Amino acid sequence: MSDNIRDAIAGEEVRVDYNSIEQTLAELWRIEKTEGEAVTRAALWNVVAHASSSEHHTSASEILGRASIAVPQRTIVIRTNPEGPPEMAAWISANCHLLGAGKQVCSEEISIVAGGDRVERVPPLVHALLIPDMPVAFWWVGDLPHENEAYVRSLLGPADRLIVDSVHFDSPEDLGLVQRTGERTSTPPADLNWVRLDEWRAAAASVFDPPSMRGRLKTLREIRIIANVTDIAYFGESVEALYLASWLVAQAGMGVDDSGNIPDLSCTFEFRPADTRGILRVDLEMDGSSAAIERHPERCVLTTNVDGQLNVPEALLRTSRKKVDELIVRELKQPESDRLLMKVLPSAIRIARRRSAA
Amino acid sequence: MTTVALEPNPLREGLEQERVPDASCLVIFGASGDLTHRKLLPALYSLAHDGLLPAGQTIIGFARPDYGDEAFRADIRKACNEFARTKPVDDAVWENFAKGLFYVQGDFTEPEAYNRLNQKLTECDRTRGTGGRRIYYLAVPPNFFPVIAELLGAEGMVTDPERGGPYTRVIIEKPFGHDLATARELNRVAVTTFRERQVFRIDHYLGKETVQNLLVLRFANGIFEPFWNRQYIDHVQLTVAESIGVEKRGPYFESAGIARDIIQNHMMQLLSLVAMEPPVAFEADAVRDEKVKVVRALRDFPAGHESSSAVRGQYTAGSVLGEAVPGYRQEERVSPTSRVETYAAMKVFVDNWRWADVPFYLRAGKRLPKRVTDISIHFRPAPYPLFKKVAGVRTQPNVLAIRIQPDEGIALKFDSKVPGPTVRTAPVTMEFRYATSFGAEPPEAYERLLLETMLGDSTLFARRDEVETAWAWLDPLLHVWEESPEPPDPYPAGTWGPPSADAMIERDGRRWRRP
Repeated sequence: MSDNIRDAIAGEEVRVDYNSIEQTLAELWRIEKTEGEAVTRAALWNVVAHASSSEHHTSASEILGRASIAVPQRTIVIRTNPEGPPEMAAWISANCHLLGAGKQVCSEEISIVAGGDRVERVPPLVHALLIPDMPVAFWWVGDLPHENEAYVRSLLGPADRLIVDSVHFDSPEDLGLVQRTGERTSTPPADLNWVRLDEWRAAAASVFDPPSMRGRLKTLREIRIIANVTDIAYFGESVEALYLASWLVAQAGMGVDDSGNIPDLSCTFEFRPADTRGILRVDLEMDGSSAAIERHPERCVLTTNVDGQLNVPEALLRTSRKKVDELIVRELKQPESDRLLMKVLPSAIRIARRRSAA
Repeated sequence: MTTVALEPNPLREGLEQERVPDASCLVIFGASGDLTHRKLLPALYSLAHDGLLPAGQTIIGFARPDYGDEAFRADIRKACNEFARTKPVDDAVWENFAKGLFYVQGDFTEPEAYNRLNQKLTECDRTRGTGGRRIYYLAVPPNFFPVIAELLGAEGMVTDPERGGPYTRVIIEKPFGHDLATARELNRVAVTTFRERQVFRIDHYLGKETVQNLLVLRFANGIFEPFWNRQYIDHVQLTVAESIGVEKRGPYFESAGIARDIIQNHMMQLLSLVAMEPPVAFEADAVRDEKVKVVRALRDFPAGHESSSAVRGQYTAGSVLGEAVPGYRQEERVSPTSRVETYAAMKVFVDNWRWADVPFYLRAGKRLPKRVTDISIHFRPAPYPLFKKVAGVRTQPNVLAIRIQPDEGIALKFDSKVPGPTVRTAPVTMEFRYATSFGAEPPEAYERLLLETMLGDSTLFARRDEVETAWAWLDPLLHVWEESPEPPDPYPAGTWGPPSADAMIERDGRRWRRP
């Protein structure tokens, strides 16, 4: 076994000729089968991460390495710089973890770095490296590019899902770009900020589970959301709260008009500067009852209280701030992208624009 | 009275848990027992941990020992810390869970105890929003079932939406009777108080992910069903092997034996799922209708020649996984002259269009070399032996192996050419392993089954006719075994059963698969 291959199996990045990536990977597993013990290569997804800086590249590689433990995948991390020198290089490595009883499960990782006019060669190379008959998730790391749409479209061609994290977005227009991608391509978008809301949505849903509360969602009159933000001026940090409000409005059967207002409903946000971001509390007012959902950071739980004439005990849901790899795992464990995001996006954009204008 | 279906909660759309049960009072009869501590309460705690229990869900332990709420909670917390899938116990989750955990002391045969229980239930309806909804879990020996059912009915503690009240459901643990007569009697008693759709007969095998995956494998994939019949399948093997002995269950096992303990219930469920026709819908009665047809189609054992199709064994001293172990007759609270079978192997036929003359070989045993539950579908060989004259080619039939536990997964064995200048073949396997592909630990069977009961979905529970039909098929054989002067064939602990079991399958030119 060559030292290079040994290093790849040990998790080190090994530089390979980009013309023979697949061949080298095949060699890696053939050698492992002959010399290694109880190693299984597994993949349920192709995950392609696009980074625009070496910092993002390293971070994406680490995040997907951790995610591959829960969702085995072929990871392809690409970093491009159209302004850089015209060159292209590739590396391979294996993300392995012990399954128990000495068995190892490994996922493959391929890194591609391209600059100058070589950037145009990246989409076909990536397409060739996708494992057939496996879904493809495309993770755009960081902010979305507003230029070079043709390049993005060609990369997204085979993708079954586009993953973004709107916490990095600068303005409501970035959300608009996600919405347009969902509308104009066959690639449904997924936003990690939407995934962050899973527990909040479950907690809010639990308020309306008791038969006596079921009809009251339609009488929603007021939504108040309090959230912590690390940078009060940064748009991306407000998106989680915007999504939550827009979702409640949409599911209550209400609409947001073009000016960002919701007829017969008051929707307010309070953003508090803090060291860590995240929604703290949601208050809902309905006809004849009110409900509060609160996060207790030190207990890592969400509690739900319903007041008024109804007798519903406090509900509790385990929660914690999820790391990005955990959010990606959650997203990849869904067989389909959550179509509700596309329902919520237009309302969230309108509310965001109204807030920006104010 | 007509019940009006509630409109769905729109906020549940797209969430992992789209259906959430309404809060109810779950009463566990036999709350001081092993099942409650090792399985039921840890499963309920894990459901709470995962946010799958509704606000207000209430659990009331009912048993004879004189506990208070606090002592019961302390005891259960300890059990959850040891046995829950989501251990160690999380303080915040526990605090909320424990608020809905109560204990009522009482004797199952005393009407006064039911009165106290009823008062507690009414109080919980008022304080916890449980709305009169009741689930009674009978984690008690079956002989208590008649008196519990009778007193629940007499005290007016059973209601039914079709009669204008909230629901009452009752969960019964196996064994569902000792034979056909006792099973019928148990069911007769049940329907004097409950309607059949209120009765949830729990067979924890049906709560296992891999068992449920049998339905998905067969009916969600287009490639298997065309081959799933006598034209392509040579035979099927089902193995339920345990490495442990009878542990502390000597007296129970002495009255049951492996056929009653495993074959009449767990194995019948596996056999039904493998052999059933596609149901018209994925709904409780549609699935169970098809399952019961399989059991109804089981061919009777040949009268007077039962031993040609059924073998029983009993383990003697030996070693399992490197440890010396005693024989069955030397086990605690087991008769030194016991003739109870700890191993059974059977050749059975499902006499219908799909499976005519395809043998299903079943075997279950204790103190076998390892714990494994496995189903293997053995396909017929290729119709023409194209390579028969080629030296170095020995083709083998394809096998689809479905591992139920442990190391759950599916493997397909087929022949492949060995690379080289000559034609040589070797069997290879394509494997899917749950742990490799999905990583996370699946929920415990009891978690799923308790949640399904709260939701009122009985798809994963045995129906009355399934139970009685299985007994009707097995009873004659058990009777022959009980009457026979011959003891079960001995087999040393740590082996795959008596030689007579090997002989039974080898007479047909086949061999047991090593699982």
